[in-house]
Amino acid sequence: MIRSDVRRLLTLKLRRRDWEREVEDEIRLHLELRAESLAGQGMPADRATAEAIRRFGSLTEARARLVDAARHREQRMQRVEFWSTARQDLAFAVRTLGRNKTWTAVAVLTLGLGIGATTSVFSATSSLLLHPLPYPDADRVVIVQQQPSKGNNTGVNVSISPNRQVVSAWMSAAHSFQDLEPYDEKDGLMRTHGDPSPVHVAAILPSFLRFAGVRPVIGRVFSASEVAAHAPVLLLGEDAWRTRFGSDPAVLGRAITIDDTAYAIVGVVPQVLRVPSVAAKPAFAWTPLNMADAGRSADVVGRLARGASVGTATRELESIQARVLTRGDGPGVSFTTILLDPSRLLSFRQSLVILTWAVALVLLVACTNVAHLVLARTASRGRELAIRTAIGASSGRVFRQLLTESAALAFAGGILGVVLAWVGVKATVGIRPAGLPELASVRLDGTTLVLTACIAVFSAVAFGVVGAVRTGRRTHDSLKAGALSTSHSRAQDRVRNGLVVTEMAMSALLLVGASLLVRSVIHLQNADLGFDPHGLYAIETGIAEPAQDSANTAALAQDRRNVALELRERLQHAPHVKGLTFSGLRPSTMSFMIGALEAEGGPVPDRNTMAFIGNNSVTPDYFAVMKTRLVNGGTFTDTSDTSPQVIVNEGFAREQWSGASPIGRRVRLDFHGHPGPWWTVVGVAQNVASAGPTEEGSAPLLYFPERYAGRAPALLVRTDGSKDAIAGVQAIVRSIDPARMHPKVFGVEAMLDRSLAQPRFVTMLLLAFTALATVLAAIGMYGVMAYGVAQRTREIGIRIALGAPAARIGRAVVLRGAGLAVAGAVVGLAVAGVAGRVLQSQLYGVSAHDPVSFAAGFALLFIIAVLACVAPTRRAVRIDPLTAIRTE
Amino acid sequence: MPLPVLKGTLDLLVLRALNWGPMHGFEIVSWLERAANRTLDVDDSALYQAVYRLEERGLLSAEWGVTENNRRARYYSITTQGRAHLRSETKNWVQYAETVTAILTGSKESLTGATT
Repeated sequence: MIRSDVRRLLTLKLRRRDWEREVEDEIRLHLELRAESLAGQGMPADRATAEAIRRFGSLTEARARLVDAARHREQRMQRVEFWSTARQDLAFAVRTLGRNKTWTAVAVLTLGLGIGATTSVFSATSSLLLHPLPYPDADRVVIVQQQPSKGNNTGVNVSISPNRQVVSAWMSAAHSFQDLEPYDEKDGLMRTHGDPSPVHVAAILPSFLRFAGVRPVIGRVFSASEVAAHAPVLLLGEDAWRTRFGSDPAVLGRAITIDDTAYAIVGVVPQVLRVPSVAAKPAFAWTPLNMADAGRSADVVGRLARGASVGTATRELESIQARVLTRGDGPGVSFTTILLDPSRLLSFRQSLVILTWAVALVLLVACTNVAHLVLARTASRGRELAIRTAIGASSGRVFRQLLTESAALAFAGGILGVVLAWVGVKATVGIRPAGLPELASVRLDGTTLVLTACIAVFSAVAFGVVGAVRTGRRTHDSLKAGALSTSHSRAQDRVRNGLVVTEMAMSALLLVGASLLVRSVIHLQNADLGFDPHGLYAIETGIAEPAQDSANTAALAQDRRNVALELRERLQHAPHVKGLTFSGLRPSTMSFMIGALEAEGGPVPDRNTMAFIGNNSVTPDYFAVMKTRLVNGGTFTDTSDTSPQVIVNEGFAREQWSGASPIGRRVRLDFHGHPGPWWTVVGVAQNVASAGPTEEGSAPLLYFPERYAGRAPALLVRTDGSKDAIAGVQAIVRSIDPARMHPKVFGVEAMLDRSLAQPRFVTMLLLAFTALATVLAAIGMYGVMAYGVAQRTREIGIRIALGAPAARIGRAVVLRGAGLAVAGAVVGLAVAGVAGRVLQSQLYGVSAHDPVSFAAGFALLFIIAVLACVAPTRRAVRIDPLTAIRTE
Repeated sequence: MPLPVLKGTLDLLVLRALNWGPMHGFEIVSWLERAANRTLDVDDSALYQAVYRLEERGLLSAEWGVTENNRRARYYSITTQGRAHLRSETKNWVQYAETVTAILTGSKESLTGATT
């Protein structure tokens, strides 16, 4: 068998032309032999040859057939040969890997964790940032918004939706867009099925469905003429259709009442249909958008025409808007049109970018570690490989064997990675905080998975190859006496040390980042908000709608006011309620006036300078109930028109009077050249960050007496924070006739908690990745130290025999480890110093160069690195000199 | 008049020939002609095709060698797998032939005897 295998190996080397010639040779020999045999029987030579050819059959045909058969044979035999070798290699690889179970487990786990973690985060990045909206040609989809070009000192990024008149002009004139789709959304009350229930309604034009690439499930889209005629028709969302109407096709033509309008259902649209901003809220129903309502604005999403750039498109929209607005009277503040990438709408965006970087570092550490493991292993197998070469294995064969081992390893790691990635994505979607509903749409991304796996496999295989080549070069030395010490080359040490330093540096970087975020979250949780959210609830009777029918609106506002007063009456004596007050705004919302502000004695503002002036209207007991300190002066003493009083926040005081006492000073507001009354400052309230600590609480703010504002106020209820408190409040709120009003209760504390959920979630993930990377780096460190000690067993043994104290031996090992850790940490911290800027947007109350975080990162890394050296050090100290020297 | 070789039996005959020892193509043909007492008509090219086919299936192996007259020839020998194949196929063939013979020439007794 062996002989025939060897022979087969020889024939395998033949190229096509060789075996073609072989067939020729064989035929020729046959013909010759046949002819000779015939001649032997007495046939004349020429006749014998002719007879031989005749018996062979048609020569050309037979030759072609035989060549064909021979080719077939060769190909098949080559295949069989290849696979049988591969099978042998694989079996051998599995055996070798199985012999060193710890090593294999660490390598597979490292690969799996690296691939798994990276794939889950990259999947999130890919679904949320790269494909944020489910529209065709998504790369050309942009969000159209407007921002004030100046005068915004509100501390928040103000962007507004364009005016509908402008949008109509854009739609008819803009060439840079293939589509421009205005939309609007609101929360309404459906009154058709039993108790009124809140539903989310989006308003669109019929073309929106084509834009989004969907068709109605049943029925039809409303027509352009229905939109123009303000026909009360709607499209039902698929979910609503299934859950509330039992997928009944007869739903078409039926009427449902939302708010005060009875709509006829004309179609059902698939649930994937969504407007760009409502990732969180799927629409219950879709109504026609009334573009004729020129006073109102509409959100706009567009698809750029092929070849149109964002720059030219922006300029075109601006010039069209300028033409439209000179005809009528535009807004008093000048606005700049901006085109946004849809992923910009994602609140999570910046965090996701940071997590993506972090997990990329984890993958790098994992790859480095695998490289490590493979290198160390190949080096320690120098003898085995040398022996195999010496007994006849070709270097190609050994090379192939090592490659098979790496591949087997990578494959196992890849499988584990896929499982972990799947679990990771499921878990992330499962534990996502309520503040991040977008995460629900994350799916495991196949492309990412393949890519990540390729990177990991490449690192395993590449280093396997490097190791194999090196070993091959030293084959002969390896067999000489004392080979163990010669294979311990300086060059290899350098590579290995370099890898450890790299790992340590990446871990240090992550450790600093994680420390920064942890400190930031601690700051967020302990931040002074300027009010006490504990046990505080806000009750809203309704969100004021801009006028459509002014008489009706006034009546509605009056009714809301009445309901609010009624609620106050009933809540006043309820148990657990400590205080009640009215505020124009519930905490976390804000309101601006657009006008010019004049401080008495200061410069008279140009009537064209428009500013956003943050304001709220409150009752005198507001500050006491909110537990907001008045740092200067007191609350309103007179809320009548005769002596207009105003309270400013610290931010306002600092901006206007830079530290001097504002009490008694006066301010007035000018709207389009109509100056209002002078308001006298009676108090200065501390800055309030009502939306949570990440909000800029120092933005200038004016508190007017509540009476002044015309909108329906929010009722703020201060309770003792007990569990019964909210139940009691809810019961009283529910006692309001639902047909009349549907007041909403907001838990301020819970809302603030939700606003912290995102930073906490990001920090948690980053901590997990950092821990992972650090553990991997520690394993790498341990591996190098243990290997170093093993290589130098003999040397250490001799030293001990010569009387070196154990302490000195141990110190040498620890010092080497510590040196590597420090080198890595220095590099990592230096990079962190530069890269910290990326984190700045995520940090609260901590600078990106926070020395405490840097020190913590350094210390943690150092401690972990030294811990990783403990076992190798102990082994070194305990080396028995006699055994060590005798080993060879 | 020599009989044409039945489809499928040529492979078996080649294996049988090689069971004696390694042979080159013409030796196989000559052996077959001798063994069959020239009652079988083997197409020479068909024989080579059979040989290649058998080699492809791993039932034969081949190597280049030298004949007594010092000529380069491709020698074929039967593999372990080929031997096993030959044994089982021979059994099948004999059983088949007996059955067919019994039916064609036959008494009921020999028919039942052959099939059980």
